[in-house]
Parts: sequence; structure tokens; C-alpha cells
Amino acid sequence: MSVMELDRAEMAAAAEQQAPRLSIFRTLRFRLVLSVAIVHAVLMGAFVWSAVNKQSEAIRSELQNRAHSLITLMAVASTNALLAEDLGSLAEVTGRVKHLPDVIEGAILDVRGHVLASTDPHEVGHYLQVPRARTEIRGRHRLRLQEQIRVAGQRVGTVLLEMSTRHVQSELAATRDEGLLFILLALVVGSVAAWVLSLLITRNLHTLMAAVRRIGGGNLGVRVDLQARDEVGLLGNAFNTMAESLQRISEQVHSEHEKRTDAERLACVGELSASIAHEIRNPLSAVINSVKLLDRTDLPASDRAQSIAILNTESLRLQRILNDFLDFARIRESRLIEDDICALIGEVAGLIRQHPQAAAVTVEVECEVCPCPARYDPDQLRQVVWNLMLNAVQAMPDGGELQVRIVRRGRSVRISVTDNGCGIPDQLLDKIVRPFVTGRKQGTGLGLSIVQRILMQHGTTLSIVSHMNVGTEMSFELEVV
Amino acid sequence: MVAASGCAVARPQHYYRFGVLPLQSPTMLAGMFLPLTDALEQALHRPVEFVTAPNFASFMRRVRRHEYNIIYLNPLLYTRARRWGYHVIVKVAGEPFTGILVVRRDSPIHVLGPHNLPPGLRIGFPDPNAYAATIMTRQYMEARGIHVNRDMTVKYFGSQDSALMAVYYGMVDIAGTWFPSLRSMPRHVQQSLRVIAQTPPQPQMPIAVRDDMPAPAIRRITQLLTHLTGTVQGRAVLGHLGFSRGFVVAHNSEYNGVKP
Repeated sequence: MSVMELDRAEMAAAAEQQAPRLSIFRTLRFRLVLSVAIVHAVLMGAFVWSAVNKQSEAIRSELQNRAHSLITLMAVASTNALLAEDLGSLAEVTGRVKHLPDVIEGAILDVRGHVLASTDPHEVGHYLQVPRARTEIRGRHRLRLQEQIRVAGQRVGTVLLEMSTRHVQSELAATRDEGLLFILLALVVGSVAAWVLSLLITRNLHTLMAAVRRIGGGNLGVRVDLQARDEVGLLGNAFNTMAESLQRISEQVHSEHEKRTDAERLACVGELSASIAHEIRNPLSAVINSVKLLDRTDLPASDRAQSIAILNTESLRLQRILNDFLDFARIRESRLIEDDICALIGEVAGLIRQHPQAAAVTVEVECEVCPCPARYDPDQLRQVVWNLMLNAVQAMPDGGELQVRIVRRGRSVRISVTDNGCGIPDQLLDKIVRPFVTGRKQGTGLGLSIVQRILMQHGTTLSIVSHMNVGTEMSFELEVV
Repeated sequence: MVAASGCAVARPQHYYRFGVLPLQSPTMLAGMFLPLTDALEQALHRPVEFVTAPNFASFMRRVRRHEYNIIYLNPLLYTRARRWGYHVIVKVAGEPFTGILVVRRDSPIHVLGPHNLPPGLRIGFPDPNAYAATIMTRQYMEARGIHVNRDMTVKYFGSQDSALMAVYYGMVDIAGTWFPSLRSMPRHVQQSLRVIAQTPPQPQMPIAVRDDMPAPAIRRITQLLTHLTGTVQGRAVLGHLGFSRGFVVAHNSEYNGVKP
């Protein structure tokens, strides 16, 4: 598996892990079910309410009409008997009325309010104060009616009738309960239907969403096979077209990238070769010239000694250049482990204090949290810290202060190396990490390049802040455990 | 029902009860007498209740129990009411009080005699105690040698209207009644009937009051009744009653000769 393929797999896994989980209330399925349920409830509620109202009105009206018909019939049937005070006939009328459904009481009164007949025999003979107008009173469970008996336009008596509305109330309650049952049933049926419908719709959407997530993770070979012939099916086809296009473009980009990388590599090799040649040419010329001089027999002893000294110095310089270059070229893959960074830095600081060039330099190490576990390759990071500290020491040939700080920042730790030396010229700042670029005559220009390569393998980079004649701060961050 | 009406009251004492002999159907009688009771209410400043009875016997029992303050009845029954504490104040004016015998206009009967009665003749009366319609017509026929109970089949129909409708529908051949009842029938019924006999006159139908009524009330009643013909409203009342000439003052002595 190539690095790029590995990166893609990691991105896919990360995308899967980072896929947001929707709350049930935000899902299309829930909203569809809720909408259908609300529509069902509202429509059925309105329908049932209207139906119950109409039926209620019809039932009430039926009872009212029946009561009015009955009391009118009583008035007509009892007129002659009332005028004749024929109590037997009147009793026959009230006796028949008594056995009719919903009748609670019925009575026939003469013009004085004298009860001549009643369904309740105990009331016959009593006097009642009755209104002179036709009335209708609705009680909680009763309907009371009063009808005047009139002959030739004059009132000659009154019929009272009281009917029970319990039967009506129970019918209305039954109608209402039936309506509520219908609403509930509609809710259940509608919700189930909406659920099934949402399943059909969102099943394909879920497939699409999973495919989109995989694409987001870098897997551009994903395709969906939706059997739907609706809008979702069209969306699936559009998605496949888009994925194919993305894959094609990605492959083109990858190809272009490789070409460009190859070109950059060649350019880098050329540049590197030129740099090496440049670095080697001067000491090598000195060595060659010195050897030529030594070959002369007439060379004075003093010149011979000087040539030998030059030969030693320049050959050592060539050796150092080649060693540094080998170090730069041989940087291996990092093997990250979890370890205390403070201990490592303390160890390197101890070594740098013993360096001959650091005799006039004060080395301080500040560790905010100690121990501070982080992920790094100990050998490589030791070299990084050594190079940075040595750079700082060499930037202060007349002595100074070298500060190393380890500061925890959330899930990372920042390591900074600060000196109060001469600083880095601005024109070198942006290319100081390139190979063979250095601000010192004795430097090879490979130290910071090695640092930068190692840090890149740790997933971080070197940051440099420098001010001429004030000092320089070089820092990087590592992932903490 | 006391609970239903919400207010039971003690017996109202202020009502005067005007009892009318059930000569006709209660509704028809009410149509005739309610305007009169209305006028009496205004004159007496007290409510007057019109009442009748299912039949003559019931009416007379109530008279005897003093259930009526004012009564309208026939001369014969008045003679009994007089014994039970009532006295006459006015009587119907003008028209002689006679009984009549009526047949259908197309009836073959024109003259009543003991020898020309068709066999199986049926005769209808309102009530055995109806003075003009029953008693006077019976006396009239008996005086002419007709034995009603022997020569005819007698039926009683409870009221003058019923007796007249019975002869109109052919349920009987002859009906005993009196002119006010005949005049109160619908026009087509009147035109379908024919009077074949009229009894000699007797003292007219009286209106009597109970003896315990206050004298001022009796005076106001008498004055009202005897002056009905003098006002438009009074004549309207009389129009409903069918007594176009109103009432005149009457005395007990006028009814001394009335006998069953």
C-alpha cells in the first residue's frame, strides 16, 4: 500500500468516524411521520368535530321536536277534558304520556294553576305558579316545556312536560367517543403508513449518504445502485455521474502531481548537486593546490608547513560536509513512541552545557508540566533538539542565554528554543531550512534541513521568529498522549 | 312537577268560577263563553274561570258542591240549583225558550203524529236532563200521543252538537235540540237540517249566582249582563254567545212553573 493509498484509507475511516449522528427529531423520517400524524389529527379532528356537532344538534333537535309534538298533542287532547274538568280523561292523557320514552313528568293545569292531572298522582290538587308564556328550559339532564292551552285566543290551562335528556347525553357521549376512536385510529394508520413511506424514501437516501461519506473519506470508486425510478433514483444517477467525474479529475490531478513531483525531485537533485559541488569545490581546490605545492622540492619549510595545515583543515571540512550530507540523506522513517519529552530535553541540555562553544552560554530549561508524555521518535528528536540548541549556541559566540520551554497546549505540546544572539537576516528566514543555506561561514547549511525533515515525519514543522541583534526563537509542536 | 315549575302556591281564592251546562262540546262552549268571562273579569276586577262538565249529572253534582260561583244552565236544572244555594239574576232576552225537533232536509218525515211514524224510528237527545232539547220535546211528543220510549229508539249523545251531528250523518232520524245550538252549527250542517216541530215556550236559560257572593259583585255582574247590548264590545260578546238580544233581569218566581 502506497502512502497515498494509506492516507486515503485513513481519511475514509476518519470520515466514517466523524459522520454526524442526527437526532431522531431532525430526521426526515420523523418529520414525515409527524407531518402526516398532525395532518391526520387536524383533518380527522375537524371532521369528527363537525360530525359530532351535527349529530348532537340532530339528536337534540329530535328530542326537542318530540317534546314539542308531545306537549302540543297533550294540549289538544286535553282541551275538552280540561274545560269540562273531566279528571278521568285528563288522567288518561297523563297516564299515556307517563309511559312514553324519556318522559319524566307531565301535568295539566287549569287557568288558576290547579293541577288537574299529573304523571305524579301526589301533585294532583296542588296549585302551581306558572308563567303565562310558552317556555322552554334546558337543565343539565332535563328539558322542561310549558304549553298553554288556548281556546278562542284565551288561555284556559297549561300543560307542563319534563323530559330527560340522559338518553340524548349518552348518545352524544357515544358519538363523541366514537369520534375520538376514529381520530386515534386515523393517527395510528396514518403514522404507520407514513413510517412505511418514509422507509421507502429514506432507505435510498441512507445508501446515498453512506456513499457520500465514503467519497468524503477519499474513496472515489464508490457507486450506488438504486432501483428507484423516482427523484431519488435520479439523484443516485447524478451522484454516480458526479463520482465518476470526481474520480477522473482526481486521477488526472494525481498524475499531474506525480509528474510535478518528479520534476521537482530532479530539480532538487540538480540544485543539491550544484550545492554539493559548490561546497566541495573550494576546500577541494585548496587541497589540490596544497598537494601541488607539497610536490615541489624547493618549497620552503614554512610554506610546506602552511600547506600541510591547509590540507588538514580543508580535508576535515570536506569530511564534515560529507558527514552532514550523509546524515541528511540517511534520515530513516520515524518510529513514534510515547515518552516524556521533558526528560529528553533535559538530557540534551546537559550535553550542550558541556559543549566547548557553550562555555559562555547560560542554558535554561522550563517545563510547564513535568513529566510531559508525547509521541515522538527519541533518537530523531534528540538530534532535532541538539541541532536547535547548537544553532542557538553558535548564534551567541560571545555568550548569552539559551532558553528551552516546554508548554502544554491542549492536545499538543510546544517546544521552543530561544537565544539572544545575532538573529537571522530577513532574506534568509524563508529559506534557512533549505540544504546548504546558512548564515555562518563555518556552517554546512544542513542542520536545520535535517530538523525540518525529521519534524515533517512527525507531522509538524519548524517555526522561526527572528529579529536581528535581538535573538531567534525556533519552535515546533508534538502530539501529546 | 312542583320541582319542574319551581313554585308551588297556595290555592288562589280570587278566582270566580263560571260553570256552563255542557250543552255543547267544551271547546264550542268555551268559544261562546270565554269573551263573556273576559268581560266579567274586567267588571269584577277579578279573574273569572270558564268551566263546564263532562255531562249534566257531573255539572249538577258540582253545583251542589258549590264549585261554581256563577252558573248558566237550563230552567229545569236551575230549579234544583235554587234549592242548593243559587239564585237567578238574569236570563237570555228576546227569543222564546223552546225545544225543537230536527230531521235531515231530505227526510220523509214532515209532521209528527202517532199514526204516521215510520217503524224503527231513531231519535237522539243530548242528555236526559237537557230541558229544552230532551224534556220539553219529549213532553211535546207525549202530549201528541207519541210514546217516545215505545215508538222510537232513543239515543243520548252527551251534547247538543253531538245530537245534531248524529242526525246530520244519519245515525238517528230525529234529534231533539234548541235553536241556539242549531245556529252554532256550521252553515252546511244547518242547511242540511230541517225543523219539524217546536215546543211551547218556557222561561229562558238563566244565569244564577251563588248566594254567598258579595252583593256588590252580583250587582256588577247583573249590570254588565243587562247592558251588553249597549256597547260595541258587549254586542261582540253577545255575538259569540248567539244571544243577540242580550240578557234581562230575571227573578226566581219566573221559574216556579218549570217542572220536569
